[in-house]
Amino acid sequence: MGTTASQLGKDLLSEYQELTFLTKQEILLAHKRFTELLTKDEKDLPNTRVPMERILTLPELKSNPFRRRICHVFSTCEQKDGSLTFEDFLDLLSAFSDSATLEIKSHYAFRIFDFDDDGTLDSGDLEKLVNCLTGETDDTRLTVEEMRQLISNILEESDIDKDGTVNLSEFQHVISRSPDFVSSFKIVL
Amino acid sequence: QVQQMQVPVVSSTESWNFGGGVQSYFLFLRFLVVLNFVSFLLIAAFVIIPSIVFRSVGSNLANSTPEDCMEYNPNPQGLEVFYNYFLDLLSGTGFMEYSYLFYGYYNNTMVEDRNFSYNIPLAYLFTAVFYFAFCLICIIAMGTAARVAVATGGSAVGNYSMIVFTGWDFGCLGDRATRLKQKNIHYRLQVDLEEESRNKRAAALTLCQKIVLYSLRIFMGFVAFGLIIGAFYGIFEATNFSQGILGLIIEYLPSIVITAGNFMVPLLCDQIALVERYSPSTTIIVALLAVFLRLVSLGVILFTLWSQITCEGNTSSGDCELCCWETRVGQEMYKLTLFDFLINIAVLVLVEFPRMLVDNWSNKLAQWLGRQEFVVPSNVLGLVYGQTVVWTGALFCPLLPLINTIKFFILFYSKKITLFNNCRPALKTFRSTTSTFFFLVVLLFGWGLATVVMVYSLAIHPSMGCGPFRFFPTMWSIVPTSFYNLSKTTQEFLFFIGSQAFSIPLFALSVVMCYFIALASVYGKSVALLRAQLKLQEGCDKKFLVKQIEELSRQLQISKHNAGVQD
Repeated sequence: MGTTASQLGKDLLSEYQELTFLTKQEILLAHKRFTELLTKDEKDLPNTRVPMERILTLPELKSNPFRRRICHVFSTCEQKDGSLTFEDFLDLLSAFSDSATLEIKSHYAFRIFDFDDDGTLDSGDLEKLVNCLTGETDDTRLTVEEMRQLISNILEESDIDKDGTVNLSEFQHVISRSPDFVSSFKIVL
Repeated sequence: QVQQMQVPVVSSTESWNFGGGVQSYFLFLRFLVVLNFVSFLLIAAFVIIPSIVFRSVGSNLANSTPEDCMEYNPNPQGLEVFYNYFLDLLSGTGFMEYSYLFYGYYNNTMVEDRNFSYNIPLAYLFTAVFYFAFCLICIIAMGTAARVAVATGGSAVGNYSMIVFTGWDFGCLGDRATRLKQKNIHYRLQVDLEEESRNKRAAALTLCQKIVLYSLRIFMGFVAFGLIIGAFYGIFEATNFSQGILGLIIEYLPSIVITAGNFMVPLLCDQIALVERYSPSTTIIVALLAVFLRLVSLGVILFTLWSQITCEGNTSSGDCELCCWETRVGQEMYKLTLFDFLINIAVLVLVEFPRMLVDNWSNKLAQWLGRQEFVVPSNVLGLVYGQTVVWTGALFCPLLPLINTIKFFILFYSKKITLFNNCRPALKTFRSTTSTFFFLVVLLFGWGLATVVMVYSLAIHPSMGCGPFRFFPTMWSIVPTSFYNLSKTTQEFLFFIGSQAFSIPLFALSVVMCYFIALASVYGKSVALLRAQLKLQEGCDKKFLVKQIEELSRQLQISKHNAGVQD
């Protein structure tokens, strides 16, 4: 699948439309925004990887506390450096789009929150997650005692099989009762 | 003008920052501004404007003073020093005293034409009575609304996984919004955790610890009680002392002492509550109870004034009556209102603003001081106290609602400014849902106090030197007097209103009203019930899932077993 970075072919466009939840306009806009991130010589190369640091300059991601995790989850790079190709980028936007289903959204949310990529949310993951939510600085972080209590409460509530971690189905079970998760798990360019 | 006051915390992203308690404070403040403004319109329409009109039309209208009038000359002749004007403005004396501001200036004009009659004293009285009734209706109407909010808005404590897993809004753009969102989540988590840990700790106490705690509480209760008594004694002494001697500070002494007491005692009570280790929600109730202290201190000042006016209940000797005591009470309330306002502004300019500058200037010093908090209970107490003073004084100082409207209006914007520039969300947790209800209860208490004062003043002898009621033995006696002056048909009509034919439909109407009010609260209850059911449902779901998992694992074992058998 060769992407000429400057122009998006017609059949490619319709293929992308098939494979993602995005509309034609959204894909074109995504393409435009993505090419803006490329340097001059990269523009001529097909399938360029944009390094994570440059992706993170996008205002939509810039101040998001989960920005690095998002890049890592959607990156198909072998080295796990979080760099994105245009197709990775479309994947990202598709998962965060309006029309993505709850199933898909919760799946990606789980992977974003799974900081050590081991397939379950253990207490280390939960601690990092809470720190992202409350802010990383010392005065915004919860105290050690509060954190311990919070994590044990979360596990008490959602860890149904009592194995000390929250797995994907348990996570999705919690998510399914939140009416506004679909609307809050959204990034629109 | 009033409609434009946007509750700052309601709007957009800001609401994340300070939580529901602060928001309900601003809603309450806005409610009071509207209430005062409408009351002013009422008083202006029926008392002030007719008075002005009749006064300008001419003095040939019936406006007489009784023969045995005592000397009342509020306008001393002679040269006035400029600063005297300033003093007069602050204390409501001098040129302020004999004006539309106070009771004493109003005439007992009764205009009677062939087809038009207007009786100022009667209008004055009825407006005052109606004003009180109107305020009561407003409070109750808001109360029923608040009760629904209490039932529906009660957030489920302990839904931590929901907050953590679905709390983040990925659509947050910009550093500011992100930080606000983070603060909000942090705040919510902290509130819930704090409450839970308190409950746990309270449950885990041993008997010995409990005894120590309770004896500590009782001891601290005595200390608080002593402080309150001391404050009352101070107010009593100051009010007595300030009589007769001139000078601004002495004139203002009661106000100063009350304000100082209000400032110090709740602060100490806070410390005491800290020592006593109540749960956060109880601490808030303790803090709200401090408003009763404020109101009772107002009661003390009224009592002292009363003892001066009536010679401690001994009304028979007329010598000791203050000339035009109604104006004197009005002045006292005017001073309290004004002083309260000045203190608020002074705290804003002299304490909060410099602290903000310190915060910006040096990090170390700021850390040592800590950032300022916006403490909701004490701020609400201030409002209720101000409103009660206005209610108490409204009979004697008809323009007080207007002054209070302006005061609260300015307060609204200055509080908004300090909130956004100087404060951080309070560390002390404060749930908005229960608080709204408490605000109204406390406000109702203030209203009750003011009503007692009004009813009492209607029943005692008005001063003869001034005011619309100088001819009457009591203020209320105007009502029967004018009733018997009415034409035959009107009298019959009024008797009809008092009769069964009218009062039964009225009763029916009030029953219907009560029904609707009850309905509103029932809706609230049913929502709470549904919430409880939702929780129950959750338990069922969990059971179902566990069953699923068990089944799956059994199947897994069976297949493994089968595989083992095949091997």
